[in-house]
Amino acid sequence: MSGQRAKPAIAAGTTPPPRSASERVAGPLPGQAQEREVDPRAVRATIAASTRLEGDPSMTIEPAPDPATALVGRDVLPTDDPVVDGAQLPARLERFGAGRARLTLADHGEPVRLPVVVGEARTDRARGTIVREVVVRGWRIEVEVEPERRAMLRERARRGAGAQAHGGPLEVHAIIPGRVVAVSVKAGDTVEAGQQLLVVEAMKMQNELRAPREGTIERVGVEVGQTIEVGDLLVVIT
Amino acid sequence: MSATSDRPFRRVLIANRGEIAVRIIRACHEMGMEAVAVYSDADRSAAHVRVADHAVRLGPPPPGESYLRIDAVVEAAVSTGAEAVHPGYGFLSEREAFARAVEDAGLAWVGPPPAAIAALGDKLAARRTAASVKVPCVPGTLDPAPVDDPDEVDRVLKAAREVGFPLLVKAAAGGGGRGMRRVVSPDELPAALLAGSREAASAFGDGSVYLEREIMPARHIEVQLLGDADGTVVALGERDCSTQRRHQKLIEEAPAPGLTEQERRRLHQMAERLGAAAGLRNAATCEFLYDRDGRFWFLEVNTRLQVEHPVTEMVSGVDIVQEQFRLAAGLPLSERVRAAAQRASRPTSHAIELRISAEDPARVFAPTPGRITRWVMPGGPGIRVDTAVEAGDRVPAEYDPLIAKLIVHAEDRAGAIERLRRALDEAEVGGIQTTIPFHRAMLDEPDFVSATGLATTWVDGHWDGPAARLPWARAALLAAGLVAIDEGAAPAAPGGGGAPPVPGGGSAAWRRGGRAMAIDRWPS
Repeated sequence: MSGQRAKPAIAAGTTPPPRSASERVAGPLPGQAQEREVDPRAVRATIAASTRLEGDPSMTIEPAPDPATALVGRDVLPTDDPVVDGAQLPARLERFGAGRARLTLADHGEPVRLPVVVGEARTDRARGTIVREVVVRGWRIEVEVEPERRAMLRERARRGAGAQAHGGPLEVHAIIPGRVVAVSVKAGDTVEAGQQLLVVEAMKMQNELRAPREGTIERVGVEVGQTIEVGDLLVVIT
Repeated sequence: MSATSDRPFRRVLIANRGEIAVRIIRACHEMGMEAVAVYSDADRSAAHVRVADHAVRLGPPPPGESYLRIDAVVEAAVSTGAEAVHPGYGFLSEREAFARAVEDAGLAWVGPPPAAIAALGDKLAARRTAASVKVPCVPGTLDPAPVDDPDEVDRVLKAAREVGFPLLVKAAAGGGGRGMRRVVSPDELPAALLAGSREAASAFGDGSVYLEREIMPARHIEVQLLGDADGTVVALGERDCSTQRRHQKLIEEAPAPGLTEQERRRLHQMAERLGAAAGLRNAATCEFLYDRDGRFWFLEVNTRLQVEHPVTEMVSGVDIVQEQFRLAAGLPLSERVRAAAQRASRPTSHAIELRISAEDPARVFAPTPGRITRWVMPGGPGIRVDTAVEAGDRVPAEYDPLIAKLIVHAEDRAGAIERLRRALDEAEVGGIQTTIPFHRAMLDEPDFVSATGLATTWVDGHWDGPAARLPWARAALLAAGLVAIDEGAAPAAPGGGGAPPVPGGGSAAWRRGGRAMAIDRWPS
């Protein structure tokens, strides 16, 4: 009983200070070595604007590391614990159907069990994210979830937005989700307006993405075979 | 017993909505009486309409055009052949004119007589009545203060110094804090008198104000009274309603923790004396402040059924609403009530009520009207839920945000708190934010659990909603993230799937996506 009264470990400051998202984004684009440290299944959870309060956090959650990875020298032990903001957190979610779930957190070894109600997933088409109502301890919180890689690209895109306003680099973002089936340019290429940049397959249709203006390709943020979401940064033209 | 031979009335109109209308209709049905509901257009399919035997439309949603229309409610009662009108709480329940209109139409009024409503509704008159039977009033003036007469300034200031600062300017016709002004020093007084009077005049049509000392810190303790036509008035026990926010009660319990039997007896006797002197009948509540020195100060009398009446019902074993109907029919106080009143100073169990409202405790309790998508209330031993909503219902913006009362009954206060914790953990409400998390936090709050910190100012001084929410918001983020990983929402997850569906496809989808991007503003 007493365990149920405690606040969850996740709140009690037992996790190390979260590695900020901007620190992570400072790394190179996908395709280069350091970026691979984020599990491709990682997600970014943020409190949606509808229920957000000033100062509310966001959280990056990765599944437990592959035990094989752990054995080749990463600084983790093989466990089932997810990685939350860069640190393993002893947490489990059991789902019972009808939106009911139980979140179990270890609070200094003593498990804290929280009944959780998870609402239906709703797609925010404008933002290309999935939003769910989650009720914990009576608090009704709408959580927006997106792939971590996309969140990182989006942040970088935002930081680049200032330069764009001064007639600087033009960022080309994905406006449909899909899979990249061809990349026709590479960094350093010069392109004409209307020239094909890449091809995205979505719903069995191949969609050609063309350069909005002439310029030089500064970087390409995706590679063939990669799945992309609305808003992903694809190409930067200077 | 045969229900019909015993019933005080054949048919009763309930001039209210929401949980209290449903609660009164339940009493009607248990006594073999038919219930007539009234409703506004916002409540066409509300629970009180569904469970009543008849229903009459009053008008559009605004209360002034529906539930506050004396003519329409009385007409509804007469046209449906109702023999009595129960006003519930709020709306018209303390309007002398409504009580008179009901009686003038030849119907029974389920509440104190119109004359008592008038006499006790005027707080200055109530204070004078209290003083006449030696019930201590909060120190202050007994007559209206002159508001803007320059010749009287010295006299008012002298009275104010006798009352002591800080003091409150209060409306004689008042309620809900309207017309009330806090005055810390003498130079603020003239302006506060003027402002309080103006606000009171616009809210109640009566600008009379008076001075009252601010008793702080204090607990709010009130006594449930029942009276019959013979003039007998008994106290059924007291309630502590100290956990409030800006004069709105949030948690109520019976008995008041920590009182001695002598204190209880003295308190109940004061309330009975005051009720008898005011000619009280039926049900009313006498409110007091209880200060740190163990003194009780009379505050006001509410001449109606209170929101928090269930905690007294649980502890006393008396169904107050059923008793109200019997008293309204002219029957004497029942043996059951007399016996319960005898025992009231030696309570043997404890009840606590939590008001579950459509309000956001993280945003200064702002109302959160909207559609309830999920509604699961707790059950099991010692639990009572008085509500009128269910999943799929819309909480209208026009009315009080109270949507449910969770009442628990247990052997003692500690047992009641344990029971409330487990009950709240069983509750599931989706679609709108409610006050449930505030209550759940209070149940872990040492000041509340030990009852040593009970004070009317506690919530305003201590509650930090965003800070209370933060750890649970993080748990919600974690839960949603783990669900997404479980479902493979990330694009590169093995087996794919989870990408948000875009209708159509091809170039149309590109265009739609482009528009979506254009209107999007990534939060900074």
